[in-house]
Amino acid sequence: MKLNRLFSFLVLLTLLASILAGCAPAATEQPVAADPTAPAVEPTKATGGTLVIAMSLTDVVTLDPAFAGETTNLFIHINTYDTLVDIRPENLSKIVPRLAESWEVNPEFTEFIFHLRKDAKFASGNPVTSADVVFSWNRLLNIAGAPAFNLDGVGKVEVVDDYTVKVTTAADDTGKLQPLPQFLTSASNPSLGIQDSKLVKEHGGTDAADAKDTDKAKEWLDQNSAGSGPYVLTKWSPKAEIELVANKNYFGKAPYFEKVVIKNVEDPSTQLQMLQKGDADMLGSLDTDLVEQAKADSNIAITVDQTLDINYLAMVYTCPDDIKTQSEEKFTALMSPESHAVICKKEVRQAIALGIDYDGITKAVLGGYGTRAPSIIPVGIAGVDQGKTQGRDVAKAKDLMAAAGYADGVALDLYYGASPTREIVAAKIKEDLKEIGIDLTLKPLEQSVYLTEMRAQKLPMAFGGWTPDYLDVTMWTDYFGLGDRSIAFRMWFKNDEARALAEEIRTTSDPAKRVAATEKIQEVFIREMPFTMLYQIQSVHAFSKDLKGFAFHPVWFADLSALSK
Amino acid sequence: MTIGITLLLFIVTHLVPVNPLAVILTEKSMEDPNAVAAAIEKWGLDKPPHEQYLIYLGNLLHGDLGISFKTKNPVMQDLKTFLPATVELSFGSFLFAIIFGLPLGVISAIRAGKLIDHVAQVISLLGASMPPFWSGLLVLFVFYYKLGLAPGPGRIDSRMGTPDLITGLFLVDSLISGNTEAFWSALSHLVLPSIILGWFTLALISRITRSSMLEVLAQDYIRTARAKGLQEKWVILSHAMRNALIPLTTLMGLAFAGLMSGAIMTETIFAWPGIGRYAVEASANLDYPALTGVTLLIALFYTMVNLVVDVLYTVIDPRIRES
Repeated sequence: MKLNRLFSFLVLLTLLASILAGCAPAATEQPVAADPTAPAVEPTKATGGTLVIAMSLTDVVTLDPAFAGETTNLFIHINTYDTLVDIRPENLSKIVPRLAESWEVNPEFTEFIFHLRKDAKFASGNPVTSADVVFSWNRLLNIAGAPAFNLDGVGKVEVVDDYTVKVTTAADDTGKLQPLPQFLTSASNPSLGIQDSKLVKEHGGTDAADAKDTDKAKEWLDQNSAGSGPYVLTKWSPKAEIELVANKNYFGKAPYFEKVVIKNVEDPSTQLQMLQKGDADMLGSLDTDLVEQAKADSNIAITVDQTLDINYLAMVYTCPDDIKTQSEEKFTALMSPESHAVICKKEVRQAIALGIDYDGITKAVLGGYGTRAPSIIPVGIAGVDQGKTQGRDVAKAKDLMAAAGYADGVALDLYYGASPTREIVAAKIKEDLKEIGIDLTLKPLEQSVYLTEMRAQKLPMAFGGWTPDYLDVTMWTDYFGLGDRSIAFRMWFKNDEARALAEEIRTTSDPAKRVAATEKIQEVFIREMPFTMLYQIQSVHAFSKDLKGFAFHPVWFADLSALSK
Repeated sequence: MTIGITLLLFIVTHLVPVNPLAVILTEKSMEDPNAVAAAIEKWGLDKPPHEQYLIYLGNLLHGDLGISFKTKNPVMQDLKTFLPATVELSFGSFLFAIIFGLPLGVISAIRAGKLIDHVAQVISLLGASMPPFWSGLLVLFVFYYKLGLAPGPGRIDSRMGTPDLITGLFLVDSLISGNTEAFWSALSHLVLPSIILGWFTLALISRITRSSMLEVLAQDYIRTARAKGLQEKWVILSHAMRNALIPLTTLMGLAFAGLMSGAIMTETIFAWPGIGRYAVEASANLDYPALTGVTLLIALFYTMVNLVVDVLYTVIDPRIRES
């Protein structure tokens, strides 16, 4: 009896083992056997077929444009939704029509009227009307999710007629409408793409004032798109892949590829292997360590493109005594008051900026694929003259340290959100500054802690990154020049001249005047040195040689409908 | 147990000095006081911690694990999304580890000190010492890139697309829908990650089997069995192995549960969208609801595995059954 049971147990075990042992080799052979199925897909390739892109999709947490604030989302949105206006890769300073065929702006920048093209249809077949624009933007505003800041300063969005929309800016406390000259550029942000209001409402969407609690469309919009763009989202498997198919109703030129699969592959060398094996046609970006390997493969094409993504070192501008008079509470909260008292001296900030070996940093962390601008405003923005960029000058830096009274050296603290790249950069800065007599103590913080402390204005010296959401110069002059905004606020950069120039850029429509003011504000940045740009990233892109039409866009990566084979 | 785990997690996560708002909002929307106020209210961050905890427990009773800070989805939904991939991978790895680990252990015990024992030891040593992020890259490089024998990363061929999801287990779903092509693709994609993830477990199983077998083989009843003229294979299979299996069962139970939570590296290398990645991101972001959800799930899993192990004991060992 007992033996029987044991025997059957063992038989079962060996049976299981033999089944699986039989399976295992079959499985390894399978890919070879499966290969003949690949040509089965081949014939459709002639008419477009499937484009496979391997890239990291780990940042994607939703595909609903009213909630999504991540970089990859901009890429997906621009290909599934249409914005009213567009900025194309070939000319980043020109706003061109997309859903709006024309627009009018009043001289005060308080009223924007968009005339929509009448032939545009959503993928669902519904026509694109002004009601959809109002719905999409109100939904975005009322859900108040991550991308809602794109509509900062907008007061009202109204229907004028079926194909005309009027946007009025918000009023200040005195009731005066605030100018919003950068609105046209921010309207080109993929987050402001227009949704099919009928379709979104069918799936529980709403643009009501309480949309934050009552909108139920997110779950559906995570798996489907409701736009008029060249592609339609058909499936999203989180951390695995995003699947798009061509929009049959697209008003523009029909996309070449019938289907696009964007596959989440995190390891850069595996991404490249997939491209080399033909399992992917294009990569999100190529790790700079792998450029040589990719160049050696004649089936791969490579482009090096200038992004507007920068890393900066920010240094406190206001001295502790002044902070004390402004707020006793903030004064006592300062995390390194001794460093604070030293860095708030202009000469010290200038010396630090001159003491850093920027080329060395670019080599160490970007494999040389990086550049630098004279101030915090990146190369590529009108008014930025890269020729004025000041590199390392140890002798001058030492003189400045001596002039500030620190000829014998001084100890300072540097704060940053911990990450492998930042550790390398911080260690390099520490080495560089040793030569000008600064003994830097590195203080990495957990990223969310770092942001919280920095926002609370507690840090004397910090470094981080800045990625634009739209291509207007206010993306830098506002956030780095206005003392009550973002980085300028956090580092106590309260400078009247910078403020006046940033305000002028904000409120002037004349491009020549804006460029002139941009030139001037850079001089202020360089003289006062509240921030020094560490590097501006260049992005390397790799794709199979027979893929045509790739053009890199610094905000939304690539227009899939422009690609063909 | 649930209360203990949730309470412990709640205390630990709240002791760490991070700001959940930094996860809930993006850097730029943190500039906006309206967005900050809305987020604080929506996520109940203005309430004192003990109140937040009680709310959490209350929701838990209704099967509501809360909403992830990061993904903004109900945690239950996220777990449903990511669990099947990990389950498939853990089963694959576990089967690999048992099928190869058990015989390897038995053979090396019988042939202790001989060549095969040394080879087995090297295999185990490699499994135990090579980190998956390295061995994973290595096998991909050799078997996918160089030899073209195995498919690339992911759960299924990219140009094929995922089968219609019913259970989320690609192997099961493709069989249900009769899509044999998808089945073979999914199975072939499972091989390399299973080997990499299961290698360490294989090492563990084969080493423990070996020492357990050696101990049993030295017992009096084995000598008796041999003395009464029993064939050697019966001595090994019915007398020795059965007794050696008892400590192994415990180990295998724990190892299986460990595979569930230990798949992070393998999942990253093989682009496998499983629970390990989800857990890592949840902890990196201090996404309390997601983190608690994953921990509860794994705790539940360990409990279940323990139950299975206890039942298995009674099958293997009549003394336990009869006591």
